[in-house]
Amino acid sequence: MSVITCNGLTKKYGRNKALNNLSFSIEENKITGLIGRNGSGKTTLLKIIAGHLKETSGEIKVFSEKPYNNLMVSANIIFIHDQMNLPAALNLKEILVVAANFYENWNSELANRLFDYFSFNPSHYYQDLSKGMKSTFNSILGLSARCPLTLFDEPTTGMDAGVRHDFYRAMLKDYISYPRSIIISSHHLNEVEDLLEDILLIKEGKEHLHLPSEDFKEWSIGMQGKTAIINEWTVDKEIIHTRSIGLDQSYVVVRNQFSEQEVQRARIAGIELSPVSASDLCVYLTSKTEGGIDDVFNHG
Amino acid sequence: MNLNLDGTKPIYLQISEWLEREILNGNFESDQKIYSQYQLAEIFNINPATAAKGLNILADENILYKKRGLGMFVTSAAKEMILTKRKNETLKKLVQEIVLEAERLSVSKGELIEMIKAADLGGEEK
Amino acid sequence: MMSLTTVSLTSIVKKQYSYKLKAYVQVFWNLVFLQLLAILFSLNGVGMSGSSSETLEVEVHYYSADLVAFFTMLWGFIIAIIITTKAYRNDDFTFVTNRLSHNLSNILFLLTASIIGGLTAMLSPNLLKVIMYIFDRQLMVASTSAAGSLNEFIIGICTTSLYIFLFCALGYLIGTLVQIHKVFVVLVPALFFGALFLGGVSGNTRIVSNFFGFIFTESSILLFMTKIIISCTLVFASALVLSTRLEVKQ
Repeated sequence: MSVITCNGLTKKYGRNKALNNLSFSIEENKITGLIGRNGSGKTTLLKIIAGHLKETSGEIKVFSEKPYNNLMVSANIIFIHDQMNLPAALNLKEILVVAANFYENWNSELANRLFDYFSFNPSHYYQDLSKGMKSTFNSILGLSARCPLTLFDEPTTGMDAGVRHDFYRAMLKDYISYPRSIIISSHHLNEVEDLLEDILLIKEGKEHLHLPSEDFKEWSIGMQGKTAIINEWTVDKEIIHTRSIGLDQSYVVVRNQFSEQEVQRARIAGIELSPVSASDLCVYLTSKTEGGIDDVFNHG
Repeated sequence: MNLNLDGTKPIYLQISEWLEREILNGNFESDQKIYSQYQLAEIFNINPATAAKGLNILADENILYKKRGLGMFVTSAAKEMILTKRKNETLKKLVQEIVLEAERLSVSKGELIEMIKAADLGGEEK
Repeated sequence: MMSLTTVSLTSIVKKQYSYKLKAYVQVFWNLVFLQLLAILFSLNGVGMSGSSSETLEVEVHYYSADLVAFFTMLWGFIIAIIITTKAYRNDDFTFVTNRLSHNLSNILFLLTASIIGGLTAMLSPNLLKVIMYIFDRQLMVASTSAAGSLNEFIIGICTTSLYIFLFCALGYLIGTLVQIHKVFVVLVPALFFGALFLGGVSGNTRIVSNFFGFIFTESSILLFMTKIIISCTLVFASALVLSTRLEVKQ
């Protein structure tokens, strides 16, 4: 059963296309990572899913209904992001009470225990919190609401490494005890990729790759060796990334479609094969050029 | 056991190999229930679906069998099968690696056999 | 699949309304402040007359708490605009809402605020008297207000509250227009003052005064209340329709 489907989804701001003919489908009760560069359309997509923005054209269905201005969809989604408006006049404890009132599945025990674990003071106010503490509080809201669809837009902004680790662990544990559909967009793919079931990579407002997390890791392979030999081997392959090493060596990343024998032959030929992490692959796939930033410095 | 996260080996493979070692060590007897995907997910801090993949590999190889609604159990022949597999596949692969490396370093097979003989097991010489 | 929660519009509106009473409590402090300020200005008096004879000198100062009512209407207008601004508008979208429930709970809140404003405005003449008495014990205070009979007091609250509610409606509509497009910040005052100006120049103040005359000079209570309620409904309804186009922008 799909929790979200979209077809040809487009969102324009004036002449700028934030989302450009985007199509994908996400099944329920999976943790999906939404990965992409800044400005690739991740936040716009999440806002449309949450019903905050309306699409310009194309179709989007959440829980089989259109999400914009939809009370049912709103009641079953919680959207956590770092620009969240929380009422200035209520202190932290009161905000938790309000949230409990709105969300049917709210788990007060979990909320209170997380609240105490992260050492929040119930009489403090949201706007007095540091960036990291705000994100932490937001994530408490996101997890305790136990909404069938939980959206996290870069929930770890400002969190230190320890808190980030705690958040991921808390998310995993609560997901195991109370399964739900989770979409998390993050710039720290390397930290979060083992928690993800699927990865949806967005490039320039369009879906680029949508695969299980494990498949992402095996999707490409890195080859390093003498430039001449590398060129021979990659003449018929699509080069995802290339970098020169020293005087006569190169490192390229290509699609991993090698058979066992080809791997052996390559190694005998002196080519070193290495895996490419999902995080690196996403960076390479969304780069403008094959050489990346080095191209800026290699000119002239 | 900490997972090797540098990407050299897929997580689900590391999980299935760890389970095999657990069975070899005798932590799980035949027809005993093995960890569920959720327990594995909590132990290793990974997504349950990845853990499930590791379990399914072992099920496909008949090291584990599934009881509907109850989970995965160790087959009676599990221990032997794992040993055989390790010998055939894993050890063979390692041998292949050594031979290949020797080839690249221009070490003859004779030299290689001498090196193997001299290798220290940390125990008795066999 | 986890079972989806179904919600009714009324339950969400109720929840939002009670949440707003807590979260927007600041506006009531503003009300107190403004009304006290109005009372302070009212201490100046609105008129005086005196007479004297050989044995007796009489000075009569007239005071009016009308300023309080006027300030309260202004307050209604302003808070209605404030709750249409981003910071307040987006509060609902953090939790559960659609645009209809968001507007309905806002309207309920404004209605509550209007009633409270009307009540305190009606009580302010009493406060005025108390203050004057504290300052000069020798005064004799007589009142021509309708505060005497309970019936008239309640009618006073109703009419004042409805006036305030009308101002709220106007503020809400204008605030919504401004949120849709910033141009209205300039356009609305321009239209209003333009109409006044044109009226003043041509000696024909019909347009604006007719509008106010229609409502404010109604003598029958029931008819008056009906007119205001209908006007408020129209104004809020337009704001509602317009706001469905509003996306949630941070």
